[in-house]
Amino acid sequence: MSAYNANWSLMTPEIVLGILALVIFTIDFMTGVKGKKPFLGRMSIIALLVTAVLVYINRGAGTIADIFIVDHFSTMFKIILLVGVAIVIAISMHYLDKNDDVYQGEFYSLMLFAALGAMLMVSSADLITLYIGLELLSISSYCLAGFKKHNRKSTEGAIKYVVLGGTASAFILYGMSFLYGLTGTTSIIDISQVISSLYVDYPFIVVMSILFMLAGFGFKISIVPFHMWAPDVYEGSPTPVTAFLSVVSKIAGFAIVLRVFFTTFLGSEGVLYDEWTWIIAIIATVTMIVGNLIALTQKNIKRLMAYSGVAQAGYLLVPIAAIFIPSYSIGVIIFYSIVYVFMTLGAFAIITLVTEDSGRDDFSSFSGLYKRSPYMAIAMSVFLLGLAGLPLTAGFVGKAWIFISAAQAGMLWLAGVMFVTSVISFYYYFGVIKQMFMNEPNPNDVELKAPLSISVVVTIALAVTIILGVLPGLMIDWIAYIQW
Amino acid sequence: MIQNAWLIPVFPLIAFIILLFFGRFLKEKASYVGITALALSFILSVIVLIERIGGETYSFVIEWLTFGESTITMGYEVTPLNAMMLIVVTVVSLLVHVFSKEYMREDARIHVFYSYLGLFSFSMLGLVLAPNILQLFIFWELVGLCSFLLVGFWYFKPEAAAAAKKAFLTTRIGDVGLLIGLVLLFNATGSFDYADIFAAVQAGLVNDTMITIIAICIFLGAVGKSAQFPLHVWLPDAMEGPTPVSALIHAATMVAAGVYLVGVMYPLFLASSTAMTVVAYTGAITAIFAATIALVNTDIKRILAYSTISQLGFMMLALGTGGYVAGLFHLMTHAFFKALLFLGAGSVIYAVHHRQDIREMGGLWKRMKLTSITFLIGALAIAGIFPLAGFWSKEGVLAAAWEGGDIFLFTIAVITAFMTAFYMFRLFFTAFTGTFRGDHEPHENTKLMTIPLAVLAFLAIVAGFVNTPLGFVLEDFLTQGLNVGYQAHGELWLAILSLAVAIGGIALAWAMYYKGAIAKDAFSSKLPAVHKLLLNKYYMDELYAKVFVQPTVAIGKFLWDIDRNIVDGIVNLVGRSSKITGRTFAKRHDGQLQTYGLVTIIGGLAIIALAFVLRGYFG
Repeated sequence: MSAYNANWSLMTPEIVLGILALVIFTIDFMTGVKGKKPFLGRMSIIALLVTAVLVYINRGAGTIADIFIVDHFSTMFKIILLVGVAIVIAISMHYLDKNDDVYQGEFYSLMLFAALGAMLMVSSADLITLYIGLELLSISSYCLAGFKKHNRKSTEGAIKYVVLGGTASAFILYGMSFLYGLTGTTSIIDISQVISSLYVDYPFIVVMSILFMLAGFGFKISIVPFHMWAPDVYEGSPTPVTAFLSVVSKIAGFAIVLRVFFTTFLGSEGVLYDEWTWIIAIIATVTMIVGNLIALTQKNIKRLMAYSGVAQAGYLLVPIAAIFIPSYSIGVIIFYSIVYVFMTLGAFAIITLVTEDSGRDDFSSFSGLYKRSPYMAIAMSVFLLGLAGLPLTAGFVGKAWIFISAAQAGMLWLAGVMFVTSVISFYYYFGVIKQMFMNEPNPNDVELKAPLSISVVVTIALAVTIILGVLPGLMIDWIAYIQW
Repeated sequence: MIQNAWLIPVFPLIAFIILLFFGRFLKEKASYVGITALALSFILSVIVLIERIGGETYSFVIEWLTFGESTITMGYEVTPLNAMMLIVVTVVSLLVHVFSKEYMREDARIHVFYSYLGLFSFSMLGLVLAPNILQLFIFWELVGLCSFLLVGFWYFKPEAAAAAKKAFLTTRIGDVGLLIGLVLLFNATGSFDYADIFAAVQAGLVNDTMITIIAICIFLGAVGKSAQFPLHVWLPDAMEGPTPVSALIHAATMVAAGVYLVGVMYPLFLASSTAMTVVAYTGAITAIFAATIALVNTDIKRILAYSTISQLGFMMLALGTGGYVAGLFHLMTHAFFKALLFLGAGSVIYAVHHRQDIREMGGLWKRMKLTSITFLIGALAIAGIFPLAGFWSKEGVLAAAWEGGDIFLFTIAVITAFMTAFYMFRLFFTAFTGTFRGDHEPHENTKLMTIPLAVLAFLAIVAGFVNTPLGFVLEDFLTQGLNVGYQAHGELWLAILSLAVAIGGIALAWAMYYKGAIAKDAFSSKLPAVHKLLLNKYYMDELYAKVFVQPTVAIGKFLWDIDRNIVDGIVNLVGRSSKITGRTFAKRHDGQLQTYGLVTIIGGLAIIALAFVLRGYFG
C-alpha cells in the first residue's frame, strides 16, 4: 500500500490538532506578543477536547502504510494524554495570570505541539515516526521548561534537560540502528515478525539494541539511574510545566515503552521476554527504593513530587516486568495511568495555587492550608494519600491491581517491594499533610481564594480519585475486556 | 430486621456527614447527633443479635469488580461472631459518645471530635460486617485513618502529632503483611469470600506451605493492629489522644480487630499448626512482656495501655492454642472492663485537671465515690476475681493454654495473670487510697460521665455469665456451623489456681502500696538494672530508632548525596574532560550537568555490561 492511497482519515485528530495549534499560534501574533491572553488558553482547552472527541469517534482499527496505527491502545492513551494536557492548560491559566513576563500565546501553542508529538508517538508503528513524535514532544518540553527566561533555575534546568534529553535520544537512535541493521526495516510490525529468528543468530546485537532503547526511554519516564535530570528540571520549570513533565511526558513515554517492548521485543511465544524481564524487574526495584528513600529527605514540594514521580514510574514498571498476559498488563498500566494523571494533576493544581501565592516552593508554604482553604487542604490530602495508596482512593485500586497481576505472573517479590516502599511514601506525604493541618498559617497569609480554573481541576480530579476508589468497576470491568 | 443490618454502620456515617457540613454551626450540640446515631445503631444491633440467635447466617452481596475470571463482591453478612461484635462496638461507642459530651465540653472543636467518632464507628462496624477479607481490609485501613485523626486530635501538642504519625505508620507495616497475605490467598483460592476460601482450604486446593505463609502474613496485620510484640510500640504513645478515644479505639474496639481477624480467618489458621504456634507464642510473649512494663509505669493511661497490650496477647494466646471461643469471649469481656477502666481513668484525669501521673493522685476514694467504686469493679474484673466477667474469660484462656499441652505457654499465662492483678491494684491503691498528693482538690463528675461508668461496671460484672459451666451459651452460639475443634473447659483446680493467683497479686499490691508492710522499692532496689530496663520499656523505641528509622533516613540522605555530590568526585577522577566541555555554559552554575550526563551514560553502560556478564555473552 503506497502512501497515496492510504486511509489518511485515520489521522484526522492529529491534523485537526495541528491546524488548531497553528491557528492559535497565528492569533497570538495578530494580537501582539505581550499581554494577558486568557482566551487563547480557553481556545487551547477546547482544541484539545475537540481532538479527544475526534480520537474517540475515529477509534476504529486501521493503519496507514504500517507506519501509523490506530487501535484501542493508541485511542485510550491519546484520550488520557489529551485530557491531561487540557488539565495542565487549565492550571497554566492561573499561573500565567500571575506571571506577566511569560509570552502566553507561545506557551499555549507549545503545549499543543507537545500534545501532537505525544499523539504521534502512541500511534506510531514505525521507529522513524516514533522518533519524530518523541522529538516533537521533547523539543517543545525543553522550551517550556525554560519558559521563565529571567529565572536562573529555569534556564539552568532547561539546559540540563536539553543536553541530557539529547543524550537519551542518542541512546534510542543507536538502539534503533541495530534493529534496522539487522532487519532492514523500521516498521515495528515487520521487525516483530523476524526478531525471534534473528535473535537465535545474533543474540548479542538484539539484546544490545533492547538495552540501548531501554536506557533512552528510561530517561523519558525518569527511572533510576536515568532520573537525575528530573528534580532539577522539575524544580526550575514553571509549575504547570512540571505538572506537564510528570504526567504527559511520563505517560507518553510509558506508552511507547509498551508499544516497542510488547510488540517487538516479546518475540514469538515470548522467547525474548526472558532477556529483559529481569532487567526491568531490577530497574523497577531500584527505582522504587531510590525514589522513595530520596523523597524522604526533600523539603521542596516540587523536588518531592519529582522523586515521588520517580517512585511512581517504578510502580508502573512492575506490570511490564511481570507479564501474566500482555494485554492484561496493558490494562493494568492504563488504569494506573488514568489514576496517576488525575491524582498528580490535582496535586499540582493545588501546588501551583499555593506556591504562586506564597512565592516559595518549600513545604512551609503549605503551613496551615486547612485554615486558609479547607477544601484545598482536604483535596490535597486525598491526592497524596491516593498516590501513597490508601484504600478508598483510586490509587489503592491501581496498586492492588498491579499487585494482583504481579502475583499472578509469579513475581510476588517485586510486588512485595512495591508495597514495602510505598509504606515509606506515607511518611513523606504525611510531612505535607501535617504542614497543612497541624501547623498554623504563616503570619501574613490570609484566606486563599482559588480561581475557577483551579477549583474545577481540583474538583474533577477529586471526583475521579474517589469514585474510582469506591467503584473501580466502572472502569476496570471495561478495561479488562478490551483486547489491547 | 436482620436484612437491614447494613443500616447499623450507616447511622454513624450519616452523623459524620451531617457534622462534616453543619458541625461548625452545631458546636456542642454536635454530641446529640452522634449519640442519637449510635443509639439507633445499638438498638438495631440488639435486634439483629436476637434474630441471629434464633435464625441463620444472613448475607447479602453485590458484584463490585470483575478481574478476568474472578469476581469480587461487596456486601454484608451477619454471623454469630459479628453479631456479638456489633453489640460490643455499639455499646462501647454509645457510652463513649455520652461520656465525651462532658469530657470534651470545653474543647472548641468538639463537633470535629464527634464527626471523627462517627466516622470511626462507621468504619469499625463496616469492618465487622464485611463478608470478605478485601472489604475488611478497606475498613481496616479506614479505622487506622480514624485512629490517626483521633490520636492527633490535639495536634498542637507535638507529642500528639508524633504519636498519631507513629501509630499510623507502625500499623502500616503489619498491613503490608496483611495485603500480601490477602493477594496470596486470592491467588491460591480465586476468591476473597470467607466461605469460598475455607472451602478451598478444606478441599486441599492450597498446599500446606502456602497456607502457613498466608496465615502468617495475615497474622502480621493482626500484630500491627492489635499492638502485639514487636509492633506494640505505637499503642502506649497513642495515649496522647483524648481519653474517651483511648477507651473506644485503643482498648475496646480497633485494637481488638486484630484478634477478630484471626477469629474470622480461624479455619485457615487451624489448617497450619506452624501458624497456630506463631500466634500462640506471639500472644504469650506479648502478654508477659507488656505486663512487666506495666509493673513500673506511673502514668495512669499508659499502665492501662500496657495492660491492653498484655490482654490482647492473652486473646492471641488462647486462639493460638485452639481456644477459639476463649479468645473471643475474652475479647468481649475485656472490651467492657477495659473501656470501664479507661473511662474511669478519664473521669479521674478530668477531675484532677489533666494530670496523669498516679503519684500525684491518691485519696480519690473519698472524693470520687462512684468513679472509685466502678474503677474497683473494673480492676477486680481484669484481675479475674470470681464471679466477675474477667474470671470466666480468663479461666477459658488458661484452660486453652493448658489443653494446648505446652507447659511453657501455660506458665507464662499464669505469671501474667499474677502480674495483671498486681499492677492493677498497685494503680488502684496508689491513686485511690492514701492521701491526695495533687494541687487541685478533685470532685466527682456529673452524671453524664458517671452513668456510662455504671453501665460498663454492670457489664463487667455480668458479661461473663454467658459462658459458665452452668451453660456454655456463648460457645454454642459462636461455634454454630463452624468446625473449630475441641473447646477446652477449665476444671475446678484451674479455677482455684486462677483465683489464687489473682488474690496473690492483689495481696502483694495491698501489702506494698496500702499497708506498707513491704517497702515500695523492695524489689527495685535489689534489681536496679531490671527496674531501669522496665522503666525504659526494654528500650524498644530507642532500638527501633537506631535499627530502622535512622538507617532508612540515612540511606535516603546517602542516595541523595550520591545524586548530588559523590558522582562529582568520580567525574573529577575520571579526568578534566568535564571542565572542558562544561566551559560553554555550566561554568557559573554548579557543574552538575556533566555529572548527570555521565551518570546516564555510565548507568546505561553498566546495565548493558551487567546484562551481558550475567547472560554470559562475554565468553
